[in-house]
Amino acid sequence: MLEGLYSAAAGMAAQQERIDGISNDLANASTTGYKSVRIGFRDLLYSAQGNGAGPTVAAGAGAAASIFGRSQEQGAIQTTDQPLDLAIEGPGYFQVTRADGSTALTRDGSLRLDALGRLTTQDGDILQPPITVPRGTTAEQLSIGSDGTVRIGAGRALGRIQLVNVPAPDGLQPLGGNLFAANAASGQPSAAGASTTLRQGALEGSNVDIGDAMVDMMDAQRTFQMASKAIQMQDQMLEVADQVKR
Amino acid sequence: MERGLYIAASGMVAEQMRQDQIANDLANASTPGYKADRVTQRAFGDLLLSNSLTGQQIGGLTMGVGLDRMATDLTPQPLRDTGEPLDMAIAGDGFFAVQTAQGVRYTRNGQFSESAAGTLTDQLGNAVLGRDGQPVKVGANGQANASGVGVFALTNVAKQGDNLFTGTPAGQATGTVRAGELEGSGVDPARTMVDMIASFRAFEAGQKAIQTIDDSLHKTATQVASPNGSA
Repeated sequence: MLEGLYSAAAGMAAQQERIDGISNDLANASTTGYKSVRIGFRDLLYSAQGNGAGPTVAAGAGAAASIFGRSQEQGAIQTTDQPLDLAIEGPGYFQVTRADGSTALTRDGSLRLDALGRLTTQDGDILQPPITVPRGTTAEQLSIGSDGTVRIGAGRALGRIQLVNVPAPDGLQPLGGNLFAANAASGQPSAAGASTTLRQGALEGSNVDIGDAMVDMMDAQRTFQMASKAIQMQDQMLEVADQVKR
Repeated sequence: MERGLYIAASGMVAEQMRQDQIANDLANASTPGYKADRVTQRAFGDLLLSNSLTGQQIGGLTMGVGLDRMATDLTPQPLRDTGEPLDMAIAGDGFFAVQTAQGVRYTRNGQFSESAAGTLTDQLGNAVLGRDGQPVKVGANGQANASGVGVFALTNVAKQGDNLFTGTPAGQATGTVRAGELEGSGVDPARTMVDMIASFRAFEAGQKAIQTIDDSLHKTATQVASPNGSA
């Protein structure tokens, strides 16, 4: 009896987790390069009921939900015509060095030039390997090819923006601020394949599908309600059991 | 008389277990590839009553009920499109196989991911096995070849939790793997809610039977021998 109360409560907790994930997606529906979360569900341990029941009769412990990765679907390419806006087409990441010296990955290609002429992200994390433009160069003069080669107009190459990829993007650890860190679960970054290209003057939009997210949210709410009904019912049963002895 | 008390109580215990199972189904109403359970009741062995003087048979008396068997409804459920390349579903019968620490287990939940070694894994990191029984490779483009993922037929299927089933493999199954789709949960919310209410009322009826028997016992104990016929 009490198992049922807790199984239903576990089901509600799982839907709560799902709502949290969906809310985060919706909040980032217009974050450049954001990838929606993948929420995995599973049922929990089954234990034999005993109590005169047959050996196959088991009580399940409910459900659990967890975020186990990110959708790798390409976000829509939005043309901005800003020379330092870069969209990645295909799997891959920019590699940047953060202020504390650690390396992080991002798909947010909204770049700028810092005081020393280095290409950085909006937060000031420096592209790795660093690309420095000569003093006095303006952003408008830079042309960045689909392979990442940075030139002034049609002149000589100043360097190449190196895109990287990891074997298992689902394992990347989110650092916030659109950044991810590679770890043992994701594998170490290596150069991205030739099919991954850059587009200058564009940004990759968030890949959150608002329609899908809304439908998921409604589904989560209704499933949450149903599990709460099961709790109410179990509560009423306890009351009925309590009244056996008046 | 006391028999009746225990018979009604056994019915209440059985309904409690049914509610546990229903609560678990409702908790998993959005778990992909979840299979709903059905429990069957059986009567405990009947007693044959007979007149001890004449030997005339009077009839049977059931000693109550218990839950007999839990059957998992393995009917394939509709697939829904997710667009995720590593979400997979089996159209038709069969199970995915995953390599766990305890041995090969089976699942219908195709919410897969990939490991740092470039192999397809389930949510808990267990490797998904291909037709040849080896882990399935995920390409550099983040996609896995759906036709290379094994679909196995199983007999003696039993739930283990964590989306996993145990069973005896019986070769390849007829189902086909589709990437970018997930199988819905096998829980039918309307039916489960109705089952829940019906079970609750049966539980309540058991309680009423106990109360009625209790009333009779009370009257027997207090009124039968009282001079004026009342307590």
